Amino acid sequence: MSAAMRNPAAKPETADGPVVAVRDLRAWYRLRLFGVDREVKAVDGITFEVRKDEIYGLAGESSSGKSTLVKTIAGAMRPPLEIVGGEIQFSFMDGTMGLNRAPADLVERVRWRHLSYVMQGSMSVLNPVRRIGTSFFDFAFRHMGLDKAGFEAAVVAHLARVNLPASVLKAYPHELSGGMRQRVTIALATICRPQFIIADEPTTALDVVVQKDVLAMFRSIQREMASSVLFVTHDMGVHAHLTDRLGIMYAGRLVEEARTPDVFARPRHPYTRHLIHSLPRIGDDRPRSGLEGTPPSLANPPSGCRFHPRCAFATERCRVEVPPMEQVAPDHRVACFEKDRVEATP
Amino acid sequence: MRAYARYAFGRFLQFLLVVFIGINIAYIITHATPIDPVEHTVSVATAFGHTAPEAIESMRQSLRELYGLTGSPIEQYLNFWRRVLVADFGPSLSAFPSPVSTLIGRAIPWTVGLLGVATILTWIIGNLLGGLAGYYRRSRLLKGFGIVAMALHPMPYYIAAIILLIVFGYLWPILPISGGSQMNVARGWSSEYILSVARHSMLPLLSLLLVGLGGWFVGMRSLVSNVVTEDYVVYAELAGVSKRRILTAYVMRNAIAPQVTGLAISLGHVFSGALITERVFGYPGIGSLLVDGVHAGDYSLVLGVTTVSIVGVSLAVLVIDLIYPLIDPRVTVS
Amino acid sequence: MFVVLRDLLRYNGEFLAGILMTGVVVAMALLSFVSPYPPLDQFVAPMDVPPSAAHWFGTTSRGQDLFWLLTYSIRNTLAFGLLVAILSRILSLSIGLLAGYRGGWVDRVLMSINDTFIVIPLFPILVLFYFVMRDNMSWVMLAVLTALLGWSYDARLIRSVALSLRHREFTQTAVFSGMRTHEILSREHLPFVLPIVFSTSLNNMNWSIGLEVTLAVLGFTDINRPSVGGMIYWANQHSAVVAGVWWWIAFPVGLVVMLFIGLYLLAISMNEYIDPRSRLERGGGRKE
Ligand SMILES: Nc1ncnc2c1ncn2[C@@H]1O[C@H](COP(=O)(O)OP(=O)(O)O)[C@@H](O)[C@H]1O
Ligand SMILES: [Mg+2]
Repeated sequence: MSAAMRNPAAKPETADGPVVAVRDLRAWYRLRLFGVDREVKAVDGITFEVRKDEIYGLAGESSSGKSTLVKTIAGAMRPPLEIVGGEIQFSFMDGTMGLNRAPADLVERVRWRHLSYVMQGSMSVLNPVRRIGTSFFDFAFRHMGLDKAGFEAAVVAHLARVNLPASVLKAYPHELSGGMRQRVTIALATICRPQFIIADEPTTALDVVVQKDVLAMFRSIQREMASSVLFVTHDMGVHAHLTDRLGIMYAGRLVEEARTPDVFARPRHPYTRHLIHSLPRIGDDRPRSGLEGTPPSLANPPSGCRFHPRCAFATERCRVEVPPMEQVAPDHRVACFEKDRVEATP
Repeated sequence: MRAYARYAFGRFLQFLLVVFIGINIAYIITHATPIDPVEHTVSVATAFGHTAPEAIESMRQSLRELYGLTGSPIEQYLNFWRRVLVADFGPSLSAFPSPVSTLIGRAIPWTVGLLGVATILTWIIGNLLGGLAGYYRRSRLLKGFGIVAMALHPMPYYIAAIILLIVFGYLWPILPISGGSQMNVARGWSSEYILSVARHSMLPLLSLLLVGLGGWFVGMRSLVSNVVTEDYVVYAELAGVSKRRILTAYVMRNAIAPQVTGLAISLGHVFSGALITERVFGYPGIGSLLVDGVHAGDYSLVLGVTTVSIVGVSLAVLVIDLIYPLIDPRVTVS
Repeated sequence: MFVVLRDLLRYNGEFLAGILMTGVVVAMALLSFVSPYPPLDQFVAPMDVPPSAAHWFGTTSRGQDLFWLLTYSIRNTLAFGLLVAILSRILSLSIGLLAGYRGGWVDRVLMSINDTFIVIPLFPILVLFYFVMRDNMSWVMLAVLTALLGWSYDARLIRSVALSLRHREFTQTAVFSGMRTHEILSREHLPFVLPIVFSTSLNNMNWSIGLEVTLAVLGFTDINRPSVGGMIYWANQHSAVVAGVWWWIAFPVGLVVMLFIGLYLLAISMNEYIDPRSRLERGGGRKE
């Protein structure tokens, strides 16, 4: 909490400052069920920023807290999720608490205009009893400043950009295929040309061919609008093709962050190495090295470095001390005491 | 359209099944009796001493047929069905020689009117308030209403009716407590008559309302508090869709579908409640007719009311089923 | 089990209120075993005495002590509700579990029948039953018929739980290990649906007792067996309200209303325990 209070002064928008800067963010699920208290520390001290005109990728296995992190940034928190500490600062609004403590009218002005969000599981984000066209109207009409005919024309044009025919506007969500619904959600999130788009596993439910299409479309929309994107997926292959910079999460913490090519070329964290080595590669039939042990429980995480129980490089120090994020090269940060030894090991 | 036709056909089959099973239950019950119902009925009837002898003979004949006591078992069963299907339950015993169907026909508008108005009002008010209570969880007023509704909801209709009867009949007599309209007002479309009917229906309506509201209120409140956590609502909130539109077009609109199904499911129960309420307030519908029929030993009347009730309620359910796809466009697909 | 009970009592006001109200009613029923008056005796007390130290709830126009008569009545009424609940549990459990587990056409057929029983209006059928049986009708027969007609609503709920169990791993394991359907249902699935069975039983009791009270008030049951509805029937026969003997109606109505509310509160707090989502919302509250 005290961290949040330290800098209440508004930060002026600078030309190429980050779109969002997150500092030491902690967001926990606090469950109190019939007297049993449980805290799931799904985001536990994360610091990073997303710059103008870039796609920042967030990777990490399932349940590592990726969705929780972006939910907190998007101001999409619902009980029992709470912010326990830290700051979120956007370039397009004042204050250091992001959307979560902002007055409602400000939030209303910012959302969709400046920031839009494609939720995980977005197969179910469309109102099942409302036609697609009406949903577009609900979400975007206010922001566009057009009359009805102009708005409809804009929607149809935007749909064409994601390869959807105008006829989907008349359809109900259940009448569309998964891929079409996914495109609709992406179109819905991008139609107002926001500066900042958060997308949580937007392609995970799609088959590979459709997935490729949707990713290409995502990239082209981002280029065209020069917006910033925070893109979450556990699929390292997608990151390799799409993102500019990449952050790796493990058990509620960021363990490594670098430009995407650097992550793949010179990973410094043992967990990142594992993620990359487990990627299938053409012409390479060496057995993939598996990871020992199970993902940690976030209700009762391991002490010190959370990766130590599964780490081949772990020392006594890793068991007790939390490794800090340290700069090792330009735009390259790692949280590992043994990063040099890791790098030296082939 | 073809999907709808298929759906409608399925619902129609279900309707036929309800009627079939319901009428069979009535048949089994009337044939499970250890006493000879015909002689019992005739003796009850003659005990009053004002029935003509030829009436008794005709009654005995039609009773034997009605009870299905003539011919082979198959013939008995088919005869029973034939009578039910053409709604011919013979002459009423207590109002001889008026046919039972005439008596029921006279009573039905009262029941349908009372029940229809009560059900629709209860459903709308209960769902509206319950939906608001689920959405505005902090509202003191709605919380208080919830507690009152929860206390009233588990009460059987009879108890609610009798409490109102005591309150408005004896403690604070401002409303008529008995009958369907004032005796000395002529029937017709006069404003005086309509007003009188409205005043007489106040207490039955109120007791149906008091008992019924809680169920819809509590149900809708919990549906809404589940729907507000659905992705499409969360997402619309994130997108800054106006609160009012989210409440109506997103939350209520989605939560209402199960409540329409709930209406169909509860109709039998509400109907039973209306019959009882009618009885308490001497309302001239088929509930009063049924109870009077039992007291007068009028078998044809009791059986007639029972079968008409079964068919009537299942018809109403069929109508609800048929309009349901308007509420939820997904239903005709699967 | 004990912990659950303790937590419910501590954190759930509705459960506490429900336990207290139902407890009072059950205690009342138990008192019947030490009643100084046999249940069917009349004119053993002065008539129409208002509530006093000698007769706590007053006496009836038939010379009965209302308090002690009420202990028998509520006992009989509770017994009726319990019997219906137990009998209809057998039906709703076997049908609900079977439909949910087998799925497919078995499910469709059973649920069609189920929906039929949901729709059929019960009251006229029970009245018809009374009409035919007249004095030969006992409360056990009425309970059996009520149970035969009143299982459907809960069967649907149980089915939906069973449906979700069907694809769980342990079911598949049980199938491959060669267990038979009834073994799988009774050993593997029953424990999962027990909580919902419990809460639906409470609602079912409320419903059946309401029916019984109504039928008895109208005189459509064995009017000589003391029951809460029967007491109101006799009070009406003696025009108790008009005659100013208000306690004859007020106490039975008050007690049975307490039972209804108590059972209902227990049922909803049980539901809340089964589905903790609603609990969370109460605790956390929605962001406005
Ligand atoms: N509503 C919730 N209540 C309690 N715990 C939750 C809730 N949602 C997610 N979690 C827990 O938080 C952790 C992180 O989940 P999530 O952010 O969804 O991970 P990811 O998106 O990386 O798969 C998981 O352990 C998950 O079980
Ligand atoms: Mg996720």
